[in-house]
Amino acid sequence: MFKQKTIEQTKSAARKSGGNGSAAFYNNPNIRALFYQILLVLGLGYFFYSVISNVLANMEATGIKTGFSFLTASAGYDVLMSLIPFEATDTYGRIFIVGFLNTLLVSGIGIFFATLLGFVFGVAYFSHNWLVRKAATVYVETFRNIPLLLQVFFWYFAVLSTLPGARQSLSLGEAIFLNVRGLYLPKMVGSDLFWVAEVALGVAIAGIFVLRRWAKKRQELTGQPFPVLYASIAMVIGLPLLALIVTGMPFTVEYPALKGFNYFGGITVIPELMALAIALSVYTGSFIAEAVRAGVQSIPHGQTEAARSLGLKEKKIMSLIIVPQAMRVIVPLLNSEYQSLVKNSTLAAAIGYPDLFNVFVGTALNQTGQAIETIFMTIVVYFVVNMVISFLMNRFNNAVALVSR
Amino acid sequence: MKEFEPVPARPAPDKTVGPLAWMKENLFSSLLNSLVTLAVMALLVYYIPPVLDWAFFSANWQGTSEDACVREGACWVFVNAWSYQFFYGTYPVEEIWRINLMLVLLALVILASFTLPKHIRLKASVIAWLVLPLVGIALLDGRLLGLPVVSTDLWGGFTLNVFMAAASIIVAFPFSFLWALGRRSNMPFIRSVSVIFIEFFRGVPVLSLFFMGSVMLPLFFAEGTNVDKLIRVWIVLIFFMSGYMAEVFRGGFAAVPSGQYEAADSIGLSYWQKIMLIILPQVIKVSLPNILATFVMLFKNTTFLLIIGIPEVVQTLQTALSNSYWLGGHALEGYLFVFLVFWSSCFSMSLLARRIERQMNTDKRD
Repeated sequence: MFKQKTIEQTKSAARKSGGNGSAAFYNNPNIRALFYQILLVLGLGYFFYSVISNVLANMEATGIKTGFSFLTASAGYDVLMSLIPFEATDTYGRIFIVGFLNTLLVSGIGIFFATLLGFVFGVAYFSHNWLVRKAATVYVETFRNIPLLLQVFFWYFAVLSTLPGARQSLSLGEAIFLNVRGLYLPKMVGSDLFWVAEVALGVAIAGIFVLRRWAKKRQELTGQPFPVLYASIAMVIGLPLLALIVTGMPFTVEYPALKGFNYFGGITVIPELMALAIALSVYTGSFIAEAVRAGVQSIPHGQTEAARSLGLKEKKIMSLIIVPQAMRVIVPLLNSEYQSLVKNSTLAAAIGYPDLFNVFVGTALNQTGQAIETIFMTIVVYFVVNMVISFLMNRFNNAVALVSR
Repeated sequence: MKEFEPVPARPAPDKTVGPLAWMKENLFSSLLNSLVTLAVMALLVYYIPPVLDWAFFSANWQGTSEDACVREGACWVFVNAWSYQFFYGTYPVEEIWRINLMLVLLALVILASFTLPKHIRLKASVIAWLVLPLVGIALLDGRLLGLPVVSTDLWGGFTLNVFMAAASIIVAFPFSFLWALGRRSNMPFIRSVSVIFIEFFRGVPVLSLFFMGSVMLPLFFAEGTNVDKLIRVWIVLIFFMSGYMAEVFRGGFAAVPSGQYEAADSIGLSYWQKIMLIILPQVIKVSLPNILATFVMLFKNTTFLLIIGIPEVVQTLQTALSNSYWLGGHALEGYLFVFLVFWSSCFSMSLLARRIERQMNTDKRD
């Protein structure tokens, strides 16, 4: 039977190549493709039609409103933490922005510390010291294999909630306080001429790009390298400092102070934010460490040997030979780790940190009952944030990708 | 004639072998290294004894209630007293054999797919895998088998995490395979539908999917249909998993050399013959480590079910921690126990994945 079929197919193929079009029309791949796709369109069409009509019928039955008019209605609930002024009488639209900013905040902190932890432990894996190597392995293997939710709970319920109360706060130099209600940091409050320093900082950051371009050009022309990193750090710190000195230190430092039962003033980091940020950084950091390790291991050992035989020092080998090549492997992995960090930040809902997911899909959905609109808006935000991350990382990837001549 | 006798090899210099040389090489190779070693050792000496003392030497092991915890160490009595709930949730005691039987069946199927004779292995294990979720539902629910019905509200604990993860990935398997094929297809419409599907379920936070399952999905069904919450979440998990697994399979398809496709075409196999007989067995073999890694991710993500109020193991732990008979603050013990359970299962799976990868990876770079 099998043989029969083969012969028939060969024949039909032969007929087709003959071009006389005598093959049955249902054996024509183009017609088949068209048929399958029409089938899929019909199936999808029916699926969406039934879902949408069901949704409409169900909504009518339960009396849920549709549309986005709820965004301008007063929300009537307060949020725990807000980066912009917010009152309970403000609208759902404003709550959306508050939640979005909180999500960006925790994701930003998480990405920063996860990258730091990941690179430190990823490089530690190649240390000459056995203990350091083992420490890196233990870190990666422990935190990668424990669910993130458990880690969030661990930091929130088992660590941060056992801290002492306000009166017995742990303090660092009477400026930074840590207690069960949160972390209290001093804040810089600028007065009238403070903008000069801010402008100076902006100039310094812009200057780095100019400096890098100039240094690269000079190296290509004369072969002399320029210490870009140290110069940049000096510029970022030095210029604003200079501006502050010239304008006569136009700022005061506001220290948190114990008033009644709690600390006031300065910057307050609520324990929910701390627990979530720590857990996200530690968890994602272990994945990034693994990515860094994979990147460095992907470089053939011959590269190191060749660099050594050219007489480069160990430090230079790392920074000039290994890391630039390893980045080609690391950056795409970093991209997906950052994206999953942003998605995982929705775990805020478990401990009540007011991120977008918690305030919108959690509370707003509960109050308005408009499941489809709220979930849709939230999903779109996460998509957009991840697309931005992906775009930036792809640009970065193009910058580090191998340029073949 | 005198036979040639080589001079016996001289031992390596004392300074390059043995524990002392190892220590010099790995712990004290430079001044900075020695300092780091001493610092790490000091930390270990300072912290390990109190931790060991807390966890073992002055811990409380015996007893059934909080009053038994008189010594200052960890109160493992808490974990002990709640261990039944941690594993089985609120499933009735006299019906526990069903869960145990299900675990045994799961283990048997896993074992079978590695040990059956080669000529029937693939067919038999694929069928066994696909039937397993149905058997599981019938057994745990009991309705179809004439056993007492156990409503899904009572399912819970660690076994629920295991079953949800296993049931989702098994059902997602064929779907994800289809999506991956769709993404490779030449038909533009099928390809774009597959891409949209895959990217949607990969790009969305799992939690929002769970909320969709618990809040939005009921709106999708016709009026009056009442689908169980656990089943709704299961459906969502299947979609989620098929998105991720489709990408795993796509990598697998790309890893099969194109000569295999061409050879299958040239001996006149039809599309499905080519895919099922030639390509799929190779794809599964190549993607096994990644399938395992995806399963580990899914398994860890089943803890997120807590947020929509499904009593999986972390939810059970939270309930236990707020129980009025156990208010002694046993959070640390409880979390450490659940850590250990998850860590040991996930770590062993990643070890297995790494081993399979090493077995397959025959081109050694270094």
